[in-house]
Amino acid sequence: MRTVKALLKRNTKLFFKDKGMFFTSLITPAILLVLYATFLSKVYKDSFMAALPAGIPMADELINGCVGGQLISSILAVSCVTVSFCSNMLMVQDKANGSIRDITISPVKGSVLALGYYISTLVSTLIICLIAAVICLVYVASIGWYMSLTDVILLLLDIFLLVMFGTALSSIINFFLSTQGQISAVGSIISSCYGFICGAYMPISQFSVGLQRVLSFLPGTYGTSLVRNHALRGVFEEMGNAGFPKEAIDGIKDTVDSNLYFFGSKVETGTMYAILTVTVIVLVSVYIAMNVLRGKSRKGIA
Amino acid sequence: MGNIIEIKNLSRTFGDVKAVNDLSFNVKEGELFAFLGVNGAGKSTTINIICAQLEKDGGSVMIDGEDLDKCTQSIKSKIGVVFQNSVLDKALTVKDNLESRAALYGITGDDFKKRLEELSKLLDFGALLKRTVGKLSGGQRRRIDVARALIHDPKILILDEPTTGLDPQTRKLLWNVIYSLRKEKNMTVFLTTHYMEEAADADYVVIIDNGKISAEGTPLELKNKYTGDFITLYGITEREAKILSDEFESLRDAYRISVSDTEEATRLITCHPQIFKDYEITKGKMDDVFLAVTGKKLTGGDDNENG
Repeated sequence: MRTVKALLKRNTKLFFKDKGMFFTSLITPAILLVLYATFLSKVYKDSFMAALPAGIPMADELINGCVGGQLISSILAVSCVTVSFCSNMLMVQDKANGSIRDITISPVKGSVLALGYYISTLVSTLIICLIAAVICLVYVASIGWYMSLTDVILLLLDIFLLVMFGTALSSIINFFLSTQGQISAVGSIISSCYGFICGAYMPISQFSVGLQRVLSFLPGTYGTSLVRNHALRGVFEEMGNAGFPKEAIDGIKDTVDSNLYFFGSKVETGTMYAILTVTVIVLVSVYIAMNVLRGKSRKGIA
Repeated sequence: MGNIIEIKNLSRTFGDVKAVNDLSFNVKEGELFAFLGVNGAGKSTTINIICAQLEKDGGSVMIDGEDLDKCTQSIKSKIGVVFQNSVLDKALTVKDNLESRAALYGITGDDFKKRLEELSKLLDFGALLKRTVGKLSGGQRRRIDVARALIHDPKILILDEPTTGLDPQTRKLLWNVIYSLRKEKNMTVFLTTHYMEEAADADYVVIIDNGKISAEGTPLELKNKYTGDFITLYGITEREAKILSDEFESLRDAYRISVSDTEEATRLITCHPQIFKDYEITKGKMDDVFLAVTGKKLTGGDDNENG
């Protein structure tokens, strides 16, 4: 455990000492928020207004709260994964500059080394995503706040789980990379694709049925839905209080992926948590096993 | 003095290239062992296998009586390596670097502080502890590399071209430290170098070429076998030099004659005592041995040392 702690300290210090790595990671959610707020909030608002049933008046603040909740849930769901890919560069850098040789000539176990990288990436990604969450919540508060304290706590729990998921995923993928160029390429692919396949950039409900079914197998989708559920729960509750028909609210929930369906069956929030938790456990176990096996085979470090 | 490293029939191929080809040699405990070869000869592959960084295709490696295949972790804790290029974290301070590496061997807290104090005195880097490694000079960084290799007090110190590019003062400091460690702790030093005068101080030398041993022995044995002796005569004329040999080299204030061995030198002295008033007999250099064995010159060091 002392060795894990020492590796964690080393890796975290290296991450924050590298200003480029830190600011690149931090700037990703900030850019997304600015882009969303500048270019997409009006589109979201207009499409939401168009979908409202005629004859039921709705306060501007409630509409803004709904659009804002959708925006921040998208940003946070994407950031938790994409930021982890930016933060998880150290394991590749260690291979590129030879530091990994200096570490693996010691009797350190592969599992300890893996945990050191995993936890340090988790910590740095979590710090950045929590900063992003605070900025997002301030943004929502400025346009229309309907979240309870429980919603905020659950939202932070969602972020924590998604960061664990993103870190585990990036650890497994980065395990096979050995140059800065490779990790930049992978980072670019993940940044541009993940938002679509997790339902952040565009609700999954807008995709074809076939694609919806394929995406329902991806655990990240449920992470996005969890964040969205907790960001919008207060808004939907307020809509109900304002006399909105339940069917209309359910229709909006379906449209924005607050409700997700697996082959027609609605997936409950508890199940979403279970899916994400089990996925994290499986991915972390696979990552540790990969490190242990490499240590045993002594095939050398690229 | 028993063998601390026993390598038998070691082999490793990369595709069609036999990087190490049926290599066998022993290193005795406490000795300075020089492992020589041109780039690509198989030195790094052998070292990587000994350090459990690379899997071998065949053969056996025993370190301090333990089989590398069975006791990898235990063997790793007995070996310290100074890599050819510094592999410490350049963004971290000297202390942070050594602290993180010490923890890999379970050395933390007071044990680390004690060890750090010992090493900073030994290698004279107390003033550098809070400096960032990336901002150190080449010589300062090398001292920290050596401190890292010694952090867990290993029985075997592997030095992979440790002094290449260093200033003479740092080179001397490093060799003094290594000398005292060998003397006080009976530490075994496994050295690869491009500086032949460093190899000349070794207890035993193995020269490899194309993954195979080309020659091995003590420096004296190798010099006797692969090079002749040189007689340098002072205060003689060119005519007198010609009497001794048709082939001689004219120096600024002397003439140098190459002879096959010391016996021939003795014969010349007894035949021409009048010419031998002021002279010295020297053995061939390790450069000559290397050239004779491999047909190649080691490159990487300073010209005057390789020449």
